[in-house]
Amino acid sequence: MSSRVEILNDGGYRSDGRRQYELRDISIDLSPRGTADGSALITHGLTEVMVDVFGPKEAKSRGQSVHDRATVSVEVGIMPFSTGERRKRNRGDKRVLELAASIRQTFEPIIQTSLYPRSEISIFVHILQQDGGLLPASINATTLALLTAGIPLTDYVTAMTCGVHSTTSLLDLTILEENDLPHLTVASLPRTGKVTLVTMETRLHAERVTECLKIAGEAGKILHKEMKKAVEARTQKLAQAMEMAPKVAVVGGGSGGVGDVEMEDEMDT
Amino acid sequence: MITFASFPAAPAHDGYDGARRYPDGEDGMEVDFDDDDMGASGRKLTSPGEVLTSSQAFMRGHGTFVDNEEVIASVTGVIERVNKLISVRAIRTRYNAEVGDLVVGRITEVQPRRWKVDANSRQDAVLMLSSVNLPGGVQRRKVESDELQMRTFFEEGDLLVAEVQAFFADGALSLHTRSLKYGKLRNGQLVTVPPVLIRRLKSHFVSLPCGVDLILGLNGYIWVSKLTKASEQEGEEGFDAEAVYSNKNDDIDDATRAAVSRVSNIIRVLAAHFVPLTDTVLLDAYEWVIEQESDIKDLLQPEIGEALVTAISAQRQ
Amino acid sequence: MANLTSISKSEKSYIQTALEAVPPLREDGRALYDFRAVLLATGVAPLANGSARINIGKNPEEGAGGTEILAATKLEVETVDSGDGVDGGRIVCTVTCSPAAYPLLSMNALDELQYDYTTTLHQVLSHPSLHPRNLGILPRKKSWLLNLDLVVLSDAGNVYDAMFMAARAALWDTKVPITRAVQYTAKKSSSSKPVDEKMDTDESSSGFDTRQIPSAQDFDLPDYWDEGEVLGGRELWPLAVTLNIHSSVHFLDATSKEEAAAPLKMMAAFAFPSTSSPTIQAVRLLGPGELQHARLQTLLSEAERFGQEMYDALEIKLRDEDFRRNHKARNRFAQR
Repeated sequence: MSSRVEILNDGGYRSDGRRQYELRDISIDLSPRGTADGSALITHGLTEVMVDVFGPKEAKSRGQSVHDRATVSVEVGIMPFSTGERRKRNRGDKRVLELAASIRQTFEPIIQTSLYPRSEISIFVHILQQDGGLLPASINATTLALLTAGIPLTDYVTAMTCGVHSTTSLLDLTILEENDLPHLTVASLPRTGKVTLVTMETRLHAERVTECLKIAGEAGKILHKEMKKAVEARTQKLAQAMEMAPKVAVVGGGSGGVGDVEMEDEMDT
Repeated sequence: MITFASFPAAPAHDGYDGARRYPDGEDGMEVDFDDDDMGASGRKLTSPGEVLTSSQAFMRGHGTFVDNEEVIASVTGVIERVNKLISVRAIRTRYNAEVGDLVVGRITEVQPRRWKVDANSRQDAVLMLSSVNLPGGVQRRKVESDELQMRTFFEEGDLLVAEVQAFFADGALSLHTRSLKYGKLRNGQLVTVPPVLIRRLKSHFVSLPCGVDLILGLNGYIWVSKLTKASEQEGEEGFDAEAVYSNKNDDIDDATRAAVSRVSNIIRVLAAHFVPLTDTVLLDAYEWVIEQESDIKDLLQPEIGEALVTAISAQRQ
Repeated sequence: MANLTSISKSEKSYIQTALEAVPPLREDGRALYDFRAVLLATGVAPLANGSARINIGKNPEEGAGGTEILAATKLEVETVDSGDGVDGGRIVCTVTCSPAAYPLLSMNALDELQYDYTTTLHQVLSHPSLHPRNLGILPRKKSWLLNLDLVVLSDAGNVYDAMFMAARAALWDTKVPITRAVQYTAKKSSSSKPVDEKMDTDESSSGFDTRQIPSAQDFDLPDYWDEGEVLGGRELWPLAVTLNIHSSVHFLDATSKEEAAAPLKMMAAFAFPSTSSPTIQAVRLLGPGELQHARLQTLLSEAERFGQEMYDALEIKLRDEDFRRNHKARNRFAQR
């Protein structure tokens, strides 16, 4: 199917005025919500995703718990009013299950689950608004929510879509572009540069895939910086708030030395 | 009475300063970021995936892992170093227990010879029947009939104060209440805060002069109750099962109830502003509130809450 | 309904005794008829025709918590003669409970809960006495289906009041596109078949069979950019007042713990027509226990009084929100 809108005009601009590799605006809100241990709201262009994380906690059903690691469960809820046409998707909906499975498979190897035997980490993804890049926005928001919950990860996971218009690759597609172009979603780890997830629902030339992977990986690094900035700003704020209180005589706890230990000096890294 | 207000705007620190254009072309791809993580206090922050140091020279602590002979952070938080041990402390997490910690918990399940207790930890804690004082004398041994009437000691929903005795192999906490200070909680209400706000103190039993007792559980559960008279706690011999496992509250006068509510609200306000709770902070806050002569419920109004926190932190400067 | 929060016997009696005291005292110092702070915003879902977000009892800064609900309406065109449409339009309400609001509930329990909420909300809001007059498009041909979706994002008590406030705000905010009937001149052959030949009509209403369209009529949107008009009779959308009952006292806006300590409650929904006296749209007694006839009467009139207060306060807030958003939109336009 083709839309009436020109994907890339002669001047090199896309239908929303962006250039080829230009990303949409991203805003991140990490303030706590409800009773969740960690929350993140990411607004990426017009796509809006909210993630709540609970855990590590007692597994809801004992049958699900695993003796040597934490289980990760993901539930995705797509708001019926998140699209132009109202569509109510139930929990059993194929698209919803697929999205949840992709998120779970992305994070299971990244979360240090072996630290929490028999526990459960629950991730609840709420899709508030859709304008392309649903999976990447969900993955980025999940990374942020896990971080605000203090759950140990071996790395950030950042995700991005990349599409191909004839021979030109475009980053960060809107839903309009997604409907028209072959595209893939790439989740990558900034530290090692490894790719943890690639999904593609359309056909694409092998050469283009390589290029897309590379560009999406680079975009992931930019996302990483932004996400890191937001998380660290929040951590900084909390750390500062805590210092307003007086220093008190601290009785060291049993093991570990997690007591209030001052940094002696600058650390050599 | 009902009033409507607007949602607060997303705080500037979390929000993010809008558009960051992805540069067109290869050359601009490396955006220059000066990593100025140093806070005003000189604390250094780090995030997962960041290499902290070599694993040959240092040992890895909590919040880190080793890959390729490097110590790498696994949480976002403050780097801490004790001699050769490097750890990273995340700020908001569930409770990470240590042996000897005082916790407040809620019974979630009664199982054969044990109770499961929610203590805001990674899994439910365990309280063995053999780890509680049984009625009829502190030293009494457990008998079979005790196993059949475990709900007469603790049942689902009950709150208790206990000490972390040990860990099971899978990391679950084992609690005990074998002290007259520990056991079932009565005469008050529970307030929960992020565990990081409860520091390890000399004593976690705090008595405020307004007739209110506080038990600051290191897991972030705080029990606010009517003052327990010292005489009631004493008397090993007169160990009274009726009192220890009673579900009945004492008569509490209105002034004490008001004080309990006031202290609870103070805790909520301080926690909302992420101020660590210690006996001195709580005392100062209580005095400030009394001076202001404000209504108990007014404390939860944002402006009054902020004024309280400002006043408290001003005293600390 | 099952208690979602478990509290100990002593906590329960602590709350109950304090309610019976003179003057009564609640755990956060509120009086019996005080609400927690209510936060409200409209226009939160740009792709919806109307939307609102509400939070009761959110603590400032890091405190979080509170009962939070998102509500949005979406209009769809329905065909009356062949589709599901009803002449003059219809309303369908759906409540979804996020598992994040009830992390301890099983999926089955969650389904039951949202089914219960859906039924209550739908029964009240789809009542003919509240039906907006402007949901019809073409008589006996096309009409609007108004979908109202609510999502419970977190539950810290008093979900019913919050649901109705969110629903009222979203419906108040809803704009119906203005339509204009268009008439095509088609072959005026076989006039409409008798309706009772059901099989036949179903078959022949295939889109390919243009001969069957009797004096084809459709509509268009005269001004695509216009937001549309508000729902007819939007001042009528009801509000619910839940009175939590313990022995001889009753109180408003219970927290989860208070709900566990005083499980009996009476929920009543009221509409407040501008020209006549308030009407009761629904009454439900929830939880175990029973009430004396006479007491129910007093509770109902009390609830009506609180409902009126709630209505007035919400009305002011809704107008403020409307003003704020129009103002913002105007400023943005001026800057261009």
